[in-house]
Amino acid sequence: MLRFGHISICIFISIVLCGVVFGAERFPPPDFDESGHELPSTDYITNITPRHTIYNYLDVAVLVAALSLSSWFVLKKRSRRSVFILMVFSLVYFGFWRKGCICPIGAIQNFSLSIFDHNYALSVTAILFLILPLIFTLFFGRTFCAGVCPLGAIQDLVVLRPIKVPSWLESSLRLFAYIYLAAAILFAATGSAFIICRYDLFISFFRLSGHLNMLILGCCFLVIGMFVARPYCRFICPYGVILRQLSRLSKWKVTITPDDCIKCKLCEDSCPFGAITKPTVEWPQIGYTKSRKLLALLILLLPVLIFLGGFGGSSLNRSWSRMHATVRLAERIYLENQGLLSETTDASSAFRATGEPIEDLYDQASVIRKQFKFGGWLLGSFIGLVAGLKLIIPSIRRQRTDFQADSASCLACGRCFKYCPKEQVRLKSLSEKQEIADDDKI
Amino acid sequence: MTTKYDNQNSDKSMKASWYEAAKGGAVVAGVFSVIILGLLVLNYLQKELLDPVRAERLENLKVTLIEQPKNEQLINTIRELDLQLRKDKIRRLQFSQKGGLLLLGAVGVFLIGIKSAKAFKAKLPHPTAVTDQQARQIRQAILARWVTVASLAVLVLAVLFFINTPPIDFAGAVSSYLSDEEIAKNWASFRGPQGSGISAYTNIPTKWDGKSGESIIWKTAVPLPGHNSPVVWGDRVFLTGANKQKRQVYCFDAISGKLLWQADMINPASAADKTLDMYEDTGYAASTVATDGRRVCAIFPTGDVGCFDFEGKKLWSRNLGTPDSMYGYASSLAMYQNLLLIQYDQATADDNKSKMIALDTFSGATVWETKRPVPGSWTSPIVIKIGGQSQLITCAEPWVIAYNPSNGVELWRVECLGTDVAPSPIYAGGLIFGIHSYNSLVAIKPTGQGDVTKTHIAWKAADNIPDICSPVSNGKLIFLLESYGKLTCYNVSDGTKLWEEDLKTSFTSSPSLVGDRLYLLSEKGIMSIAKVGSEYTEVAKSSLGEKCYASPAFSDGRIYIRGVENLYCIGDKN
Ligand code: SF4
Repeated sequence: MLRFGHISICIFISIVLCGVVFGAERFPPPDFDESGHELPSTDYITNITPRHTIYNYLDVAVLVAALSLSSWFVLKKRSRRSVFILMVFSLVYFGFWRKGCICPIGAIQNFSLSIFDHNYALSVTAILFLILPLIFTLFFGRTFCAGVCPLGAIQDLVVLRPIKVPSWLESSLRLFAYIYLAAAILFAATGSAFIICRYDLFISFFRLSGHLNMLILGCCFLVIGMFVARPYCRFICPYGVILRQLSRLSKWKVTITPDDCIKCKLCEDSCPFGAITKPTVEWPQIGYTKSRKLLALLILLLPVLIFLGGFGGSSLNRSWSRMHATVRLAERIYLENQGLLSETTDASSAFRATGEPIEDLYDQASVIRKQFKFGGWLLGSFIGLVAGLKLIIPSIRRQRTDFQADSASCLACGRCFKYCPKEQVRLKSLSEKQEIADDDKI
Repeated sequence: MTTKYDNQNSDKSMKASWYEAAKGGAVVAGVFSVIILGLLVLNYLQKELLDPVRAERLENLKVTLIEQPKNEQLINTIRELDLQLRKDKIRRLQFSQKGGLLLLGAVGVFLIGIKSAKAFKAKLPHPTAVTDQQARQIRQAILARWVTVASLAVLVLAVLFFINTPPIDFAGAVSSYLSDEEIAKNWASFRGPQGSGISAYTNIPTKWDGKSGESIIWKTAVPLPGHNSPVVWGDRVFLTGANKQKRQVYCFDAISGKLLWQADMINPASAADKTLDMYEDTGYAASTVATDGRRVCAIFPTGDVGCFDFEGKKLWSRNLGTPDSMYGYASSLAMYQNLLLIQYDQATADDNKSKMIALDTFSGATVWETKRPVPGSWTSPIVIKIGGQSQLITCAEPWVIAYNPSNGVELWRVECLGTDVAPSPIYAGGLIFGIHSYNSLVAIKPTGQGDVTKTHIAWKAADNIPDICSPVSNGKLIFLLESYGKLTCYNVSDGTKLWEEDLKTSFTSSPSLVGDRLYLLSEKGIMSIAKVGSEYTEVAKSSLGEKCYASPAFSDGRIYIRGVENLYCIGDKN
């Protein structure tokens, strides 16, 4: 009998090694020093003409169309199949065709940098790619995640045997996504790095080339994704963090049932992302006062956590700042000058060849460190706030009467629809109506 | 007539056959993926394991080619191996690209198959009854809090870990270059600090005998010949030696005299210069090395320049192109901060080939290059400090030119020199002294901008002007030593000749000053030591018993002298 576990292991090994294969490097140009041979011009590398603007507008148009269709398929048509087809299209278009760039997730960084660096011009496309999914989420929930995001799509395709991640673990793991978001903004705002792009797990697949380590990591995520559905979206995606909060406010939300919930429980395990919340029972009266005291204590703890987080974040300014090329270079030069490193790097050699005063480099690095000190305060405070809220929220006793798609966690994939008997009734009546209409035509 | 039951049955059997088809497809795609994968892994391993071995073999062959540039068989082997390597690389690259695509496709088919199989055997939901929903809710809330606390603990640990990384404080890093005190304490380049030939120590021995071994702390044979002078930093002494085939840098232990390491200066680009014939008096290693206390840099007449760390590891090397020098390249190196300063004078002024080059000592990268309107010269540049501002002073026909050593921008120049300049400039008593061989000693005020010939020459003297040896001065008196032995003393302030003495022997080594004593090392290896004063007063004479052409180096209580075959360390043996 075909065993899924065995097959999965095979795929894991094959995909990981497939990544290794793509990592094959190019070979160096020949040494023609003595023969006087001139190497072919590399103008084709340096003179790459920018992509025609019309294609950028086309991207935006496709994005708007995909978002609209996705929202319509999920909320109105309630068709998982349509969402799936759209998802495959988005994977092909935004992933393989547009090679994963530009994407709304990375656009967070462009936006952050443009706020802090006035010399950085933010393109209209980047703004639209950032904002449009947010607007759609405000109205229709996370329909971007469902059928438009190529990163979500590639993970969705490999979901095979999703296991259920307990809600308490899911919530804590999600803390990483908040840290990632804050770090991405900090590094982008300081002009250090676009870490979301640098550590894009799936871009190597879209471009069919990439850094070996990222390929392997991406493969690992896909393998994990067979059993833990969409791990990147749920625990890492920094854009997902923003979408989560916005979709809480969305005007039209995904509902498992097209009608009233009859609590048949048929849908309770249908969501691979653990986004279905169950009806709650009455909270026990015993220990009620104790719980309230705990809640009060946790609320009081919140500012402390914010402060400690800020302090910790700013203390790490030297470590954070190493993400900035100038600081890295200054530290390298410092170590070389102190005799702690005997060999130079390409970067340090290039800097030395400029003959620029090292003191100027040190000054620039010191300024950047100061920026990180301030940014570290903000980042740390934010993480402290999120962690504090994560402690408080489980202590808030909420009442639910139906099986619901949690508006924050629901990725609007539409998988649960068919599990609802009321949905089956709806579909049947639809098809009956269709038959009547066909008869009428005849 | 078909019943509903029959319809359901046929539906079921169709689903089962679709399930089998999907399963079969998945298995075939899976097996296919594994086969491609195996081939790709093999391809990858070949690239990772086989290619580096062959590439190393190719590099070794290329190095051998430097030794045997006319070996046709070797050249053909290199060509064939190089071609084979390139062909294989292209083939592997194409194979991995196509194979990778195929593998992705196969994995895609596998996924479709397996997902379809799953869809055709979809399980019906099995709602479970939870016995104690209340307890479950409370348990989940508690767990959620504890996991958050655990995550916070991990974060705190991460913060503590990163905080502990050793800090680099740029505020205290501005003085990372050698201080003037460090430079003054050592003998880091030709003729020591500022190229002055003045010892920072006065406890230098005056009496020794090479034959009996009196006051000879150690004597070590130098593998290859060279006229360059020893350079001393701490407990290390550096020299170079070369012949037509080899160019080497040596490091001796100043305590024991042991040759700690010797390093070959190999540059594939200089292979063609193996045939370079040098003027005998200059030899293949006339230029003295320079050190900054962490690395030592050397240059050879082939244009090979390189830097080694104190353990003998080559940090970088370059070939600057063989200098077109009539008597062979002989300028010594100077250092300023992180810069290795090379006076690369050659050919004629009209050839426009002469230049001053500053290389970064860490990487060998060219930091600046300044063209010089001069022909070949045999002087060495010096770096001096005047009023907190450093100047790089150079001499070549007809100019004494000062540059800003950090960027190579010319500061001032004076037209006062003639052909074949060999004595290096010195700075003493607020004046720069340049020597027009056999013709004149010129004292220059080192200020102003541009051509200051008309305004900045303080005085000129014309008696007993040397052709090889550089002068030495204590700031009040300046001493000139002609190569055939005439020692002349001038007053620094006005250029009045005070006295002269014929030492009746020949000199190539430049005179040195230790406190109030002049050290004059003749070609015969006899050191005449005279008191600095209003007349020549010899206080001691010591013989090495070996010919000497290089200038001595001084450190605390010791003097290092390079004979034609040996390096000597002289001092108190106790
Ligand atoms: S629509 Fe939402 S709740 Fe339903 S399965 Fe998809 S993610 Fe889960």
